[in-house]
Amino acid sequence: MRTPLLQVEAIDKSYPGVHALDRVDFDLYEGEVHAIVGENGAGKSTLLKILSGATPKDGGNIFIRGHKVNIYSPQHARQLGIGMVFQELSLIPGLSVAENVFLGRWPRRKPFGTVDWPQLFARAKDILGNLGVDIDPKEHVSNLGMAERQLIEIAKIFSLENAQILLFDEPTSSLSDAERERLFDIIRAVKKKGIGIVYVSHRLAEVYQISDRVSVFRDGKKIGTLSVDQADEDTVIRMMVGRELKEKFPKIKIQQGKEILRIRDMTVNGRLYHLNLSLHQGEILGVFGLVGAGRTEFARALFGIDRIDSGEIFVDGAKVNISCPADAIKSGLGFLTENRQDGLLMQLAIPLNITLPNLRRFSQFGFLQINAEREAAKKYVKELNIDTPKLDQRVGLLSGGTQQKVALAKWLCSQAKILILDEPTRGIDVGAKVEVYRLINELAKQGAGVIMLSSELPEVLALADRILVMSGGSFVAEYEHGQATQEDLLKSAIVKLKKLN
Amino acid sequence: MAKRNSKFSVSVWEWIRVQGASPKQRIRFLIWATILVVAVAFAYFVLTAPGFLTLNNAINMSQRSAPDIILAVAQTMVILTGGIDLSVGAVAAFSGSLAAVAFCYWNIPIWPAILLSLLAGAALGAVSGLIITKGGVPDFIATLGTMTTIRGLALILTGGLPVPSHVTAVTLKAYLPPEIIWLGNGFILGIPSSILISLIFVGIGWLILTRTMFGRSIFAVGGNKTAAAISGINVQRTKTLTYVLSGLLAALAGVILTGRMNSANALMADGAELQSIASVVIGGTNLFGGEGGVIGSFFGAIIMAILRNVLNLQNVHDFAQKVFMGLMIIGVVLFDQLRRRYGR
Repeated sequence: MRTPLLQVEAIDKSYPGVHALDRVDFDLYEGEVHAIVGENGAGKSTLLKILSGATPKDGGNIFIRGHKVNIYSPQHARQLGIGMVFQELSLIPGLSVAENVFLGRWPRRKPFGTVDWPQLFARAKDILGNLGVDIDPKEHVSNLGMAERQLIEIAKIFSLENAQILLFDEPTSSLSDAERERLFDIIRAVKKKGIGIVYVSHRLAEVYQISDRVSVFRDGKKIGTLSVDQADEDTVIRMMVGRELKEKFPKIKIQQGKEILRIRDMTVNGRLYHLNLSLHQGEILGVFGLVGAGRTEFARALFGIDRIDSGEIFVDGAKVNISCPADAIKSGLGFLTENRQDGLLMQLAIPLNITLPNLRRFSQFGFLQINAEREAAKKYVKELNIDTPKLDQRVGLLSGGTQQKVALAKWLCSQAKILILDEPTRGIDVGAKVEVYRLINELAKQGAGVIMLSSELPEVLALADRILVMSGGSFVAEYEHGQATQEDLLKSAIVKLKKLN
Repeated sequence: MAKRNSKFSVSVWEWIRVQGASPKQRIRFLIWATILVVAVAFAYFVLTAPGFLTLNNAINMSQRSAPDIILAVAQTMVILTGGIDLSVGAVAAFSGSLAAVAFCYWNIPIWPAILLSLLAGAALGAVSGLIITKGGVPDFIATLGTMTTIRGLALILTGGLPVPSHVTAVTLKAYLPPEIIWLGNGFILGIPSSILISLIFVGIGWLILTRTMFGRSIFAVGGNKTAAAISGINVQRTKTLTYVLSGLLAALAGVILTGRMNSANALMADGAELQSIASVVIGGTNLFGGEGGVIGSFFGAIIMAILRNVLNLQNVHDFAQKVFMGLMIIGVVLFDQLRRRYGR
């Protein structure tokens, strides 16, 4: 048997309240892409953090080509030939591509140690060429798109002489389809050079496309490793959640009530153009659009975060003036942000987060009724099945899916009857997704109107009663539930884009 | 671990090793050991300081610390929103001077004079707050500017002289009235009135922070501005109000200080802004906002007061005291960072 390039033995890591990795074994061979899938909080990212030297392990052993190593720091990991591809964070936008690739290790010229620019650019060009990347090394990183930046992250790792292991954590989350294909081409090319790749992703489809073996993690344990041809979707999902998922996207038919929201001609100069929509009680309205279509801008304008230049908003038939989020909340709107960091106070306890939009309800003469607040929080923790060791847990210590439930509880507590959900299942695992879908259905059943902004086609198609397609800041098409296919939606979203260009 | 000087430290180190502690546990142990050593040393110097354990000294110390405690409460509110108020010392000096000038030169009765000075403090706080929220000037720079400006205004107001002073004493009211002196030097049931007042304001500060919507908004704004705004909290109003409150409390501290010294001058409460920030940090409030409270700051201010008092009693030179205080502030913050990194 071959010696694995990387072998991890009984590795263990605990954070307060969480056993993030529970004696996990893992191995990686030369020229292999080994994918790790699992729910949020399964321990995938923790493993990568340990391998890249960002976090120390509590116990266990790591072997590289059979030699036992201790990884002390990110620098040390790089010396060992382990490179982590960060999503976007580790590049300096003001510097050129070449300077970034060799950051901190620029070739020097004697006698004063000045930077040897010709050599720097030549070597960067070599590395980029080897990867098949056609980017000018003199270009400033600030002029590059997301995908290109990611390629530079990879190039950065190849500037190490002994690069042998690449770690990817959700590399495609900010990439378009075409950019993703390009990244995959590069991964395939890198593989052929005998480099081992650990690939962490939420997206099963990608995993099938790129990997050789798949390991499934759950609750800090490795459930199993399959070769990719054995790993059909149902098996993997069953391993991830530990039970069979009969319905991935449950859709309940809900009787719709009267109109609760009407938007007429909403315009934000330069971003949104003449948006019209109406929303009824019990309705789930999907708004689909590609990146840059204006979905989030629409949500922000509706919620009073950005100013509307013209247009009218009616709630329950009455015209309302929304110029700040407080107005929106008063009118019965709730806004689940795309990024959980923007919606939650990570340092504060669960009850404080849940009651924040509606503090007035829990106060008399400006004084808070602490007991009433805790009772309400307890109720929502139970209703939404929020998985926490204690009520007063800081939200920052919860897993992504659980945080999303706390964020939803906020708007339930504020008694919002119009919910704007921006990518409600972004970055959470399959199991939590299904629970979020169930909650959305439940909300609609209780008479709320839901506007679900999403870029995930299957989610929109399965859940929404009606779908508006957004492109270039306008609504360009409308479909009833069951009327459209994925291709229809995509076509509508793309065709208009082309017209604009 | 190569060089260990004393047998004792070797054996302690061996003991930790034998216990099979992880590196993290070892660092945690060292942190607590250091805290213990510092606490013992502190206690030793405190208890051996000549005259520390006397009633007189206790009274003196609490009277001196009263304005500092009030300033620490003010600073806590501001720091919790993620801001910082460098102008508290200047506002205290200006407001204390204003009360004295209004009484001595403008013939305004003392209580209206004090009210005027408190309102002036609140107004100055509002100016800082509005420069920050409406003008978009960073907190540090804005209050650095108002600090200097307000000191200048105080100098103009007093003509650079103490109020009342020997120059003016002949023609005008020569002394401050007993009411304001009582605020600084009086007693209620044998307890200095100034420390009672400051305790009341610690209590009010605690109530505001833990039991009111405004207090909750302060934590929300300091914890995450975006999330606070999306939850319907008016971030700008919350920030501005904390600066108003800070100005008001600083003015109160200035009035008490004036009463204690029996005279006001434009340069009093010198360095009080740093004292107050140090008290807040020693008290465990996160300098970046969102975490902490006034109870910690109260104890922070007490520790600072004891330290200053003991340095005086142990006859440490004034200049050396400054060095010591500065190092102590750095040491505490450094320690706090270590604790945050390895403590849990």
